[in-house]
Amino acid sequence: MRIAEQDRDDVLLRRAAKGDEEAFTILYRRHQAAMYRFALRMTGNTWAAEEIVQDVFMTLMRDPKKYDATRGALGAFLYGVARNRVMKHLERLPREIPLEEKNEDGTGSGIVLQDASTPAMWVEKRERKLQVRAAVLELPVEFREAVVLCELEEMSYEEAAQMAGCPIGTIRSRLHRGRALLMAKLEMLRGVPRRASVAR
Amino acid sequence: MKCEEFVAIGLDAGRDASLGEVVRVAAREHASTCSRCAALQDSWQAAGAELRAFAEDTAMAETPARVEMRLRQEFRTQHVTLKVRRAAVVTAWALAAAAVLIGAVSWRNWQKEETANHLTSPQSAVKPPANNSNVMTNHERPAQSAAAVRQSDAAEAETLMADNEMSGFTFLPGAFAADTGDAEILRVRMQRGALGAFGLPVSEERASDWIQVDLLVGNDGLPEAVRLPR
Repeated sequence: MRIAEQDRDDVLLRRAAKGDEEAFTILYRRHQAAMYRFALRMTGNTWAAEEIVQDVFMTLMRDPKKYDATRGALGAFLYGVARNRVMKHLERLPREIPLEEKNEDGTGSGIVLQDASTPAMWVEKRERKLQVRAAVLELPVEFREAVVLCELEEMSYEEAAQMAGCPIGTIRSRLHRGRALLMAKLEMLRGVPRRASVAR
Repeated sequence: MKCEEFVAIGLDAGRDASLGEVVRVAAREHASTCSRCAALQDSWQAAGAELRAFAEDTAMAETPARVEMRLRQEFRTQHVTLKVRRAAVVTAWALAAAAVLIGAVSWRNWQKEETANHLTSPQSAVKPPANNSNVMTNHERPAQSAAAVRQSDAAEAETLMADNEMSGFTFLPGAFAADTGDAEILRVRMQRGALGAFGLPVSEERASDWIQVDLLVGNDGLPEAVRLPR
């Protein structure tokens, strides 16, 4: 489906640069969710993700000329900016990875269980997802990025390589090592309660 | 395909578009024959399923509405500030241009008035010599030099009458302090080199500088003394 001329990102960005707030809002609503998910999955912190998204769009607002339409889509450009912000955040706070966070309304970390038929299953699934989340967040940044882009964002290897600014082979090897670490961590996390129950 | 190759590229051969069909087939065949690699693939598929479940949980995550509000507020502030700043810059330049124009017109008018005054009453600035037709003194040449400077640059020459204070004058050779009773002070603009004609020492490097000089002109219309006003 072709996007109408007036709704294209570059056209909207030009309008926004001239002070058209509506155009800026359309751009924001179009891209914010992807940026937020990426930042959230990389940092595991809703506040950090929120800050990163805000930073990304502030950059776009203050210096729209940084984006060159001939070099790629606006989404890719925004991903690049978000990635830089994420890396800076992770460099600054390497150890700050909360496992459980509260939403604005005081509820849990945003995990919604759709098929939990009994409370026991609900608890088990919730625990399992927290373990996966913890395992992803404990991966080294490069491996985590490859796993997030390829597995969670479901990008192709080419797209992920473009986003990370490295060759496909590098992405493949990072993903391979990330997977190996992830599986080991998941196995370990799976094993701990079992051993604990056996010991009891 | 060997086990090492399978671990490196075969686990996700189905998704990796950069791999050819031959590699995919080889990976499938290897998984069907090698139990260790098949177990590894199963394990990865289980981890992949868990990752997908985790991804689904955050698939609907969106930035809180307050971020949009903050950004829109910032957008408004930035663009209003930008407009105000542009208007201020334009106004400042317009005012500066107007000031320069007014200054130029005023200076031009003042110059015209000065030139007109100078032409209509030259005797007010320089008294004609009373009895110098027959007497040629050694002051004649410096006086002529000063007069030449004044005439050559009539439009720009400043022939303002200086203040009447007599201090700070250097008497020219042959002039006496007692003769200055009826003398008048005349301010002229000349090149520094012209002072040499008065017998005063002049630096050669600065000889072409334009300076203002107070001349103490005696009754006979000849300069008696010279002073460099501060």
